[in-house]
This record gives sequence, C-alpha cells and structure tokens, in this order.
Amino acid sequence: MHEMSVAMEICRIVDHKYDRAAGSLVTVGVEIGDDAGLEIGNLEFCLETLLSQPPFGGARPLFDRKPGSVLRVSYLELDDGR
Amino acid sequence: MAVRTIEVRERVMERNDGIARDIRQRLDAAGIVALNLVSSPGSGKTLLLERTLAALDGELRMAVITGDVQTQNDAERLARHTNRLVQAVVTGGACHLDARQIDTGLEAVNLDDTDLLFIENVGNLVCPASWYLGEDAKVVLFSVTEGEDKPLKYPKMFREATYAVINKMDLLPYVPFDVDRAVAFAREVNPHLQFFFTSATTGSGLDAWYDFLRDLAGGPSGARPARTARSAP
Repeated sequence: MHEMSVAMEICRIVDHKYDRAAGSLVTVGVEIGDDAGLEIGNLEFCLETLLSQPPFGGARPLFDRKPGSVLRVSYLELDDGR
Repeated sequence: MAVRTIEVRERVMERNDGIARDIRQRLDAAGIVALNLVSSPGSGKTLLLERTLAALDGELRMAVITGDVQTQNDAERLARHTNRLVQAVVTGGACHLDARQIDTGLEAVNLDDTDLLFIENVGNLVCPASWYLGEDAKVVLFSVTEGEDKPLKYPKMFREATYAVINKMDLLPYVPFDVDRAVAFAREVNPHLQFFFTSATTGSGLDAWYDFLRDLAGGPSGARPARTARSAP
C-alpha cells in the first residue's frame, strides 16, 4: 500500500541528513506510532530494499513503536571506520 | 568499529504537509472550500459527484481533481455533467493522492472562478487517511453493501473524516445492513461525524447533501468545517 511512498520519503530525509564523509550508514532509526496507519512489516521490507541501494550501503532500519500517530526519522547511526 | 549517532527527529510527512499548508493558504485566499472524498472502491464517490455536478452546475462554481490508479474513466464520466474543469490524476499504482499531485492539479484550476473544490481520492480506506491535501474536510463514503462495521475496521479514516455519507440506501431491502449499528460504530470511532444518507442512483437524500454544499460554499466563512489538528498538521 502506501508503505513504499513512506519508505521513499524516509530515504529522502536520510539522504539529506547523511554526511558521506562522516562514515558509512549503519542504522536508520524510525519512530512509528500505533495509529500511524502503517503495516510495520511491509514498511520494513520496503526500507530494507531501498537502503540496500547506493548511497545507503545496506543500512538497516530499526523501529521504535510509540503510542499515537507519530512517524519520524529519529536518528542515524554511522560507522566512522576507526 | 566506532558507531556515532546523529539525531534527526524529522517528521516523515513534513514535506507533504508543508505543500498541503501552502495549498490551504491559496484556497483560503481565494475563498474556496475543498472537500476530500474518500472511500473504498465502489462506494459511489463518482456517481455522487456526477449527480452533484449536474444538480449544482451554474449555481456553484465547482472544480474536481479526481485520482485513479489507472485510467481517466472517472474524470471522463464527471466531465459529461459540467463544462467546468475536471482534472484527472493517474497515480500509476500509488494507492492515494498526495499534496504534490494536488498542487500540480491546481495549476489548471482558475482559483478566482471557483467556490468549491472536490478531490475524489483513490478508492482505498487505508492510505488516503494519512495524507493531508490541504482540504477543509474529509468526507468518507461507505455503502450499505459493504457491512456496517467498516468504521471499526478502518478507524483512522473515520477519525480523520468530518462527514460521512452512507450511500446506496436504495439497496437496503436487499442486504443485511443495519443503519443504526453503522452510525453507532462510526460514532464510537468519531463522535463528531455528521451523516448523510443517500442513494446517488435514485437521488434520495441528495437534497440534504446539496443544501449542505450550498451552505458550505455559498455561505459565510463561518460555515466552514473546523479542521482537526490531525488533518491540518
């Protein structure tokens, strides 16, 4: 359903915030409300597919379930290789 | 390996909602009321709009943006009833309209010559609930052939809606649909829902719908529905 649209928007935000020079992207943290109208397994599948492509390099999505309808990218984890 | 955390805290829908707020401002400035019609496929959105355009054309200045996954069939049906603009958006597989598509669709609408904008969303009771399009209110349709527990199965849509139209009332003698139970279920989800009971086929109940539209689009700005925090982020 609309999970792919949401996943693409998440990746747009990640792309905007991700400083490639700071390291490789490891994790994308997403807060998702119980009333956000999203099927979390479906969203996870879409995100994993998109994040497997450049420039994201196989980062994994990590979901934090919340009450209400919140839906936001909460954090990125980068590995700086040191 | 040293992992560093970068805080982001950005709403996923912010870009859509920002475009929708811009749309809302433009519509407000032009004095246009916008209704976003949502339902499952086959509830009668297009026929209700056909009847509405035929009945009120010449009385209210109406424009329609209609979304479908494929084909422009709905837009072609609607255009038979009015010389005014019916703008088709073919989503190409997407299950909802988003604010960017409405923004593009509005480029063809003469805002200075419009009182009432209908957005006929893609037939789907799940996804369109999550996308604010700059509308004054969502109108959710469901028909007596669908079962009275639709509001319990799709609560987000019924929470987001300000108005509910129970359609195909002419079929009541032939289906096991309890209108009182349907209304009770809907009010359980959203106590403030206002109802219309219509048959777009026979025309029963449409006078109340037309009067409502006349008040909304032709009346003072105070007649506008209050937008909820959810539908107008």
